[in-house]
Amino acid sequence: MKTNKSNNFKETSISKRKSFRKIKNELGAWGFLMPHFIFFVLFIIVPLIYGFIMSFYRWSILGTIRYVGFSNYIKIWNDSRFWLSVKNTVIFAIISIPLVITISMLFALLLKQKLYGKLWLLIAFVSPTFFGSVGILTTWRWIFASTPNGLLNYYLMKFGILNQPISWFETPIRAWACIIFVTVWWIMGFSVLLYLGALQRIPPEQYEAAKLDGAGPWACFWNITLPWMRNVLFFDVVRQVLLAFGLFDQVYFFTGGGPAGSTRTMIYYLYTVGFERQQLGRASAISWYMFLIIFVFALINLFILTKSVKSAEG
Amino acid sequence: MTKKHKKILRIIISIFLWAFAAIWYIPIFWMFITSLKESTLATSEFPPQWIPKNITFDNYKRIFQSISGISVFRGLLNSVIVAVIGTIAGLFVAILAGYALSRLKFKGRTAIFWTYVAVLAFPGIIFLIPHYFIIYRLGLMDSLSALILPSLGGTFGVFLLRQYMIGIPRELEDAAWIDGCSKLRFLFTIVVPYVKPALILLSLMSFLGYWNSFLWPLLVLSSPDKFTLPISLVRFNAGWGDPYRGIGTLMAGAFISVAPVLIIFILFRKYLMQGIYLGTTGKG
Repeated sequence: MKTNKSNNFKETSISKRKSFRKIKNELGAWGFLMPHFIFFVLFIIVPLIYGFIMSFYRWSILGTIRYVGFSNYIKIWNDSRFWLSVKNTVIFAIISIPLVITISMLFALLLKQKLYGKLWLLIAFVSPTFFGSVGILTTWRWIFASTPNGLLNYYLMKFGILNQPISWFETPIRAWACIIFVTVWWIMGFSVLLYLGALQRIPPEQYEAAKLDGAGPWACFWNITLPWMRNVLFFDVVRQVLLAFGLFDQVYFFTGGGPAGSTRTMIYYLYTVGFERQQLGRASAISWYMFLIIFVFALINLFILTKSVKSAEG
Repeated sequence: MTKKHKKILRIIISIFLWAFAAIWYIPIFWMFITSLKESTLATSEFPPQWIPKNITFDNYKRIFQSISGISVFRGLLNSVIVAVIGTIAGLFVAILAGYALSRLKFKGRTAIFWTYVAVLAFPGIIFLIPHYFIIYRLGLMDSLSALILPSLGGTFGVFLLRQYMIGIPRELEDAAWIDGCSKLRFLFTIVVPYVKPALILLSLMSFLGYWNSFLWPLLVLSSPDKFTLPISLVRFNAGWGDPYRGIGTLMAGAFISVAPVLIIFILFRKYLMQGIYLGTTGKG
């Protein structure tokens, strides 16, 4: 009896110790996760739920909060300014993305070659992508100054392209041309780096073999370079679509959405509704509309990430 | 093509690209040159001068004074504080979480990890309005912590570190176990050096993210002594109507905001070139 009991006691104490250890381990693991997890819940999970709820309310920082059902969504749907901003953003994406990708590709191919003074070339073509919007955009606005001594006006007049100084953000076409040009200049570097990374992974034997077969540079590009770059190009298109839908700073600094709303993008529209008119509920609804529009691209992005999880584990 | 021909071709392409690079970089040159001119001169001189007649450093001195109640220097200081503390804090929580999600076993690990991945699909704009409201409710409006805290919850850093940490060989961990190494020590003596490239990339991206951040600080900051560098530059001449009135000082401020980034780029370009390809495509 006695021995049995003590045996029993021993067993339970061992299993207790084991489960205690397991619990201790689990707690330890949570201890590692917790510092991040708290912020994750507070600033990712809660905002997702909160933002969704807010979109069904008339909600401002000061003043009363009132449930309004789908009213926010309906009012936005019927607002021609919203649809104009959608159109503007989509057109911007359609024009700027192929431009950025082609030009970046060209520069990446050039910078892959053996060249002299490569560091300087990298600085010139790549570093602007890491500069902040305020420094870059105030400078560009200064170059676009409408006075005769605005740098762009001055040189265009000097080379006889213009007769008199013009105001660069006056007409929709001109304003968009400036926004797109500066955007390409600004963000191209990131894609160049991305493509350079991908180009370095192409085995050189492929080119040597093609050369032996008598393939020219053009054939090499189509049959070797492009297929090898397919994944990274695909990834970059998705990234840039998401980026294009975030267009705000250029509009803020150059045009303020004008003339007559022709450069107002979706985020700029959201900014005016949410923060200039303080209708946070309505602005929330706009952000969910935006989410719906870019949902497909977000899903593709997620798919790429999922694939990379599998490859890291496998 | 002979070797000599190749060399000549290389020189020609290089010279052509150098010329183009110089044109491409005109905005940065023009920013710096304007910062050496008195604003009144810069806006009135014709033709625009590439080599200023009277070089002045008054614009840089003015940064240390307050201009219509706003000190650009204070903005610079705030930007440094936010970028440094934000980067360190973000790295710290991401290392711990990445370690938990890759090397430790606990209930719900898989579910949490996939939630972390899934939220990456939501574009940042979704969070803007609720963040604004949460920061308001926490009473953190118009504070520097409002600029840091929301980004700490982001999951990309955790995701990236987890991808790198999962590749650490099991044997390394077992050996450390037998030596009686604690988890925390194992993490900081073995795991952290192992994922160094990812850490450097993350800290660079995070630092630049804070340093360049514009829309969010524009929304939450309202008092001049809390402004970051970009906000102080936007605000100091906002009331004047004419955006070019303080152009010399503005360009000096712009140059100060760009110069550290340029230095970082030159020093860390190897990491950026390697890292951006591996990092953004999720180490695929």
